[in-house]
Amino acid sequence: MRLTAALGRRTRPRRRLAVDLPATINLVGMLGKYLGLAAVLPIAVALWYGESFWPFLAAGAITSGTGFALERATAGSTRRVGVREGFLVVAATWLLAAGFASLPYLFAGGDQLGHPIDAYLEGMSGFTTTGASVVTDFDELSRSLGMWRQFTQWLGGMGIIVLAIAVLPRLRVGGRQMMESELPGPEIAQLSERIAHTARVLWGLYVGLTLAETLALASLGWLGIDDRMTEYQALAHAFTTMPTGGFSTQANSIGAFSATAQWIIALFMLLAGANFALMYRGFVRRRPRVFLRDEEFRLYVALALAASAALAVEIWGYGIAEGEEAVRAGVFQTVSIMTTTGYASMDFALWPTVCLLSLFALMFVGGSAGSTGGSIKVVRHLLLAKILRRELDQTVSPEVVMPIRLNGAPVDERTLRAIAAFILLYVGAWGVGASVIAIESALGNVPVGALDALAISATALGNVGPAFGVTGPFGSFAPLGDASKLTLIGLMWLGRLEIIPVVVLLTRHYWRL
Amino acid sequence: MKVFLIGAGQVGFAIVDALHQDHELTVLDTEAARLAALTERYDVATYEGDGTSRRDLAAAGVQDADLVIACTSRDEVNLVAGMFARREAKRGTTVIRTSNVEYVELWRAGQLDVDFVVCSELETAHAISRIIGVPAARQTDVFAEGQVQIVEFDVADDASSDVINVPLRDAKVPKDSKVAAIIRGEDTLLPRGDQAVLPGDRIVVIGPPQAAQAWSALLAPGDATVKDVVIYGAGRVGSAIARVLLDQGISVRLIESSIERARVVAEMLPAARVYNATGIDPDFLDRERIGQAHAAIFAMRDDAKNLYAASLAEVHGVGFTIGIAHEPVSVIAFEHAGIDVSVNPRAVTAEEIIRFAHDPRTKQVALLEGTRYEVLDVTTRDKSEYVGKTFKEMPIRGALIGAIVRDGRAIFPHGDDVLEAGDRVIIFTKTEDAPRVVEAL
Repeated sequence: MRLTAALGRRTRPRRRLAVDLPATINLVGMLGKYLGLAAVLPIAVALWYGESFWPFLAAGAITSGTGFALERATAGSTRRVGVREGFLVVAATWLLAAGFASLPYLFAGGDQLGHPIDAYLEGMSGFTTTGASVVTDFDELSRSLGMWRQFTQWLGGMGIIVLAIAVLPRLRVGGRQMMESELPGPEIAQLSERIAHTARVLWGLYVGLTLAETLALASLGWLGIDDRMTEYQALAHAFTTMPTGGFSTQANSIGAFSATAQWIIALFMLLAGANFALMYRGFVRRRPRVFLRDEEFRLYVALALAASAALAVEIWGYGIAEGEEAVRAGVFQTVSIMTTTGYASMDFALWPTVCLLSLFALMFVGGSAGSTGGSIKVVRHLLLAKILRRELDQTVSPEVVMPIRLNGAPVDERTLRAIAAFILLYVGAWGVGASVIAIESALGNVPVGALDALAISATALGNVGPAFGVTGPFGSFAPLGDASKLTLIGLMWLGRLEIIPVVVLLTRHYWRL
Repeated sequence: MKVFLIGAGQVGFAIVDALHQDHELTVLDTEAARLAALTERYDVATYEGDGTSRRDLAAAGVQDADLVIACTSRDEVNLVAGMFARREAKRGTTVIRTSNVEYVELWRAGQLDVDFVVCSELETAHAISRIIGVPAARQTDVFAEGQVQIVEFDVADDASSDVINVPLRDAKVPKDSKVAAIIRGEDTLLPRGDQAVLPGDRIVVIGPPQAAQAWSALLAPGDATVKDVVIYGAGRVGSAIARVLLDQGISVRLIESSIERARVVAEMLPAARVYNATGIDPDFLDRERIGQAHAAIFAMRDDAKNLYAASLAEVHGVGFTIGIAHEPVSVIAFEHAGIDVSVNPRAVTAEEIIRFAHDPRTKQVALLEGTRYEVLDVTTRDKSEYVGKTFKEMPIRGALIGAIVRDGRAIFPHGDDVLEAGDRVIIFTKTEDAPRVVEAL
């Protein structure tokens, strides 16, 4: 008896690894292999404009090559990727994608993008559709590199894995959970029993809307309404509107274009922040009544209208702009920040604090579930409000049983707890990020105030883009210190994957049995 | 008529009790003891067998039946038996009992291969909603798509002097209504104009729903209309009642002791407020102001619990209590203990099923005072001796015409109105006179 006890203590084995790493690496490798093909577009642009295409060719070759090597090295793994591996696949794929995006900046970015941290920040900002940039001189960027920036946002908007599920048969089994990790919002709207079909519908609608916006904007150029809106600019901005990205090829963002172009972009930003599954039912299936019946959509539109009106009044009241211009600035800025796009039609960093606080609050709203928007999202606010109301009711009557409903259907308690957990983690990550930025800026004499630091952290986590002060819409994130930049990269990554799939990786239980 | 009955439980007994005198009954059940108990009291043929066995059904003679009633306590047995009987009894009508509202919906959609479906829970809920509409009522029923209501009232001591202690011909009775019967102690009188209603009587009134409500206000002045109801127990009966009351715009609070069931019902009925509580915790009753509810319905599975909870609720101030009595004997206990109205779901179901045993012209039948009186809804034949006569010419033969339905509209006849062929007549009569009255019309 005593012997076995002693033996048991001495030979107690290390607890086994619970994650199937070879299978995970194999899948990430395969995704990387195909992702490298995305370099075809900037190569084509470079050839068209007679610019150097080798940075893109190299980036594509490195990415595909690495992917291929990873896949080959782990080719023996027979187990398929399960729920547990899914989190790691998603997290790793997005780190890899940002790395891929940063390679052309490293090779051809010159002084403003050539530093590895800057390049990676720009890459992460691209794929996560944030739109925060370290670029200070836009004229120095080649057309192909400019288009690459825009294109990375477009690829990241609807999700790399959703795209992979749509086109690659291998992911059709077990892909649902990965898709849920990647798609914005607490749950995917069930469009179809088959996830491949759902993924194809989402991407199809996304491509369709992008084309529609490109045509709408390009026609302004063709009709002579807006001379600066060339076909190149139309495509470049459609690429960053639909994913609610916010990168622009212009130093003064959308302020460079005409009023009509601004209204069109505002409309498409609003669409990009709406639920794509809902738009599929409403537009493609021609059932427009679904919009009126959807609680989240109603709140989303109501919030956009109310905030636009308030901001327009503030802008007009402070004499920043008048008449149509004030209304346009109010609507454009509200929609841009609320949907987490991050375009600017004016330099709002110069506006009074009241206006800044309005925009700051909007950074926490976000788009709808199943949209390309980031941040907390309207449906989570809606459900949180219902949870709070129930808590208050149950304070008075502890016995009352009140299921929480969304569009009439009860929402299960686990989803509700996940929402509460998400919001707590979101606020926590925001606070930690703001602290790092504030401390480093204070030590390094970077002109970033308390509100600026809070806004920078919120804008990165919410995948919005611009903040206030030097990091305003017409400014740049270049002046920040390296620790702040690394923090921003982490926040953008966390925000795009909606925190929980990443934070799960930090728990001991995830790795060990 | 040949009636074939599957199931000799409580519902089966009540049906046999109502039909055995006028009809030829065969009862099939799996338990010999129940059949023996039945034959001790009634003159009926019995057969021991399984309702889901086609062979047993055929052996018991289901093919000759004019009416087949499947009324066991199990839905599946009733469904299968009903479907077999429909095939076997070519000229018979099939009625099945169910406790699941879903089957009623299926039947309405034409998806169930039987002639009629009677749902105990739904019938109970409707019975209660009729009582809630007329709070002073002891029992009530509606006819002609709700245009005619028949109500049994207890006459309180403080009832309005407009209607009590004065001869009926001088009483200011609510418009279009008639007193069909006065029950005084053991006697039942079919009143004439010179008789008066006295406190302590129980009376049966026929009239439009507004008149029923007016009677309620006259006989029990304290009771206002019910807008806020508490239901104890959110089982099938409780939730069916809640659904019907909510549809009428009445606010409903449900008390359910099982958390799982409470969740299910809360999801099913968004408009109701559901509590997970036993309903007998004084703190809870006080905190939620249960005593301020206009009415409380006790629909828990256990009659004893219903009785106890009702007593407690009355202590807390609930003015009007309705008890669901699953056992017939509980009705007596409930009434003795002061529960205002008792409803036995099985009796309600039996009553609903008995309606099918009458003449095909008879649409609906209600039983009052146990089975001593019936209310019939009969369409008059062309050759009836009464067609073309005014109502004051008709002899009183233990029957009273409460209303007629002509072209879908209810008319409350006065002495000079004339009965026409094809009129639907809502008539109150003694059970033993019912076939004679139907024949005469």
